Amino acid sequence: MNPPIPAWADFVGAWDLFRDPVICGVAAGAVLGLLGVHVVLRRMVFVAATLSQVSGLGVALAFFAGIHLGTEVPPVLGALALSLLAAVLVSLDTRRLRVSRDSVLATLWLLAGGLAVMVGDRITQEAHDIAGILFGTAVLVRPEDLRAVLGVGALVATGATWAGRGLVFAGFDPDGARVQGLPVRALDVSLLVAVTVMVAVSTRALGALPVFAFSVLPALAALLAVRHLRWAFPLAALLGALAGGLGYLAAFFLSFPVGACQAVTAGLFVLLAVPVRLARGGE
Amino acid sequence: MSSTPLLRCERLVVGYGGRPVLPPVDLEIRPGEFWVVVGRNGSGKTTWFRTLLGLLSPVSGQVAWPQGRRPIAYVPQRSAFDELYPVPVREVVAMGAERGWSFLSPGGGRGDRVRQALTEVGAWELRDRNFRALSEGQKQRVLLARMLCSQAGIALLDEPTAAMDAVAEEEAMAMLDGLRRAHNLALVVVSHHLQVAFRHADRILFLDPEVGVEVGTVAEIQQSEAWRARYQDRHAGVLP
Repeated sequence: MNPPIPAWADFVGAWDLFRDPVICGVAAGAVLGLLGVHVVLRRMVFVAATLSQVSGLGVALAFFAGIHLGTEVPPVLGALALSLLAAVLVSLDTRRLRVSRDSVLATLWLLAGGLAVMVGDRITQEAHDIAGILFGTAVLVRPEDLRAVLGVGALVATGATWAGRGLVFAGFDPDGARVQGLPVRALDVSLLVAVTVMVAVSTRALGALPVFAFSVLPALAALLAVRHLRWAFPLAALLGALAGGLGYLAAFFLSFPVGACQAVTAGLFVLLAVPVRLARGGE
Repeated sequence: MSSTPLLRCERLVVGYGGRPVLPPVDLEIRPGEFWVVVGRNGSGKTTWFRTLLGLLSPVSGQVAWPQGRRPIAYVPQRSAFDELYPVPVREVVAMGAERGWSFLSPGGGRGDRVRQALTEVGAWELRDRNFRALSEGQKQRVLLARMLCSQAGIALLDEPTAAMDAVAEEEAMAMLDGLRRAHNLALVVVSHHLQVAFRHADRILFLDPEVGVEVGTVAEIQQSEAWRARYQDRHAGVLP
């Protein structure tokens, strides 16, 4: 027999318990949604996937170090260190090896995913955390993780908005931007670092699956729905925030894992945006 | 056209990885001049062009700016733009006004430049359309507006009439010629289309790794050894 569906009053009554994870989901969704417009337009979707997976491995290794090596490493530091290393590897010129960037990303993604499961197998008392890290099943968010998401998110969103015109020019017409003296390389690196850091802190708090979803799906929905790029940024941020909040509510009322509900909610926005684009046609 | 040069190539050798692909080039580009760069596929036009733009370092020699370093307007091939971006025409034109870190400042005040540039090329009515949705001819006009919005003294255009039919090509070149005269703008155009290019050019840079490099007026080029070796002796049928 299925458990009874909780009432709205149950949620409101336990708001003190749910407040932090809801705020965290909304904030991470909004900031990653905003960044996601650049991620999607620059064809970096699998960079975001790989970074979130590698961040998950970083958190798992931090737990492992604490339990088996007696070395306390903050999980968010593990996520940051490994994802920054992955970002460096991703940004290397792979043409000398005659392999595509897709192949490098797939290798990192598979290695990180496999290693995270293997490490998780050796830290049984933290197995639930590992599942939460990879798939976003964590219901609660620790205050320090929320602070990290809010702090980093505020910095990243401010920077991405401030440098928005330059990021768009450098992505749309990189040679033209270089000729006019724009710091194209610095902009590319800054964007990658911003995505990496935001993904790392969000993965520690929410899990890899919803973080990947927030990095891609709200932006994709927004780009399908709007006619001009300037409206895609606020709409993607709004849809990301809604996916974070509504996904949490759906998980509460339907008794599903939080991360999965947040990812599916973001995916529904894409499905809703497709007919909008088809109806509008043309541009 | 005897004014001080805007740009001077001094024994400029272009290439990749320190290996030259062409002999040294000496030339001076003055305000209002119309240069056309011609040569066969693989002749080094793109390498020379990208070196002039500062996207590649010279193997040796240098690009000097006798009047001081001036902004360059660059009109790439239309295929150079990422068409995933739904950027409206007025924003594409406004990009011409960006310099260095200017994108960190508010973009206000550029509206008049954008309107003036779009009006001058007859594309004001396209201002709210997405660039990616325009026809090839419309895109070309928008890119010329971006060139004007940059307020540069010299503009480099890479195959600006590629994928155009003969009528559209002649119209585009005539418009370029008009803008050049109106703004005393030096133009450097890479083109495969010798007939049209020769009709409008003041000066030609002919590049050919096998037979050499020639610089001169249309008449001088047609009398040059390199040109004759390449076209009159081997491919006379393609001569203008």
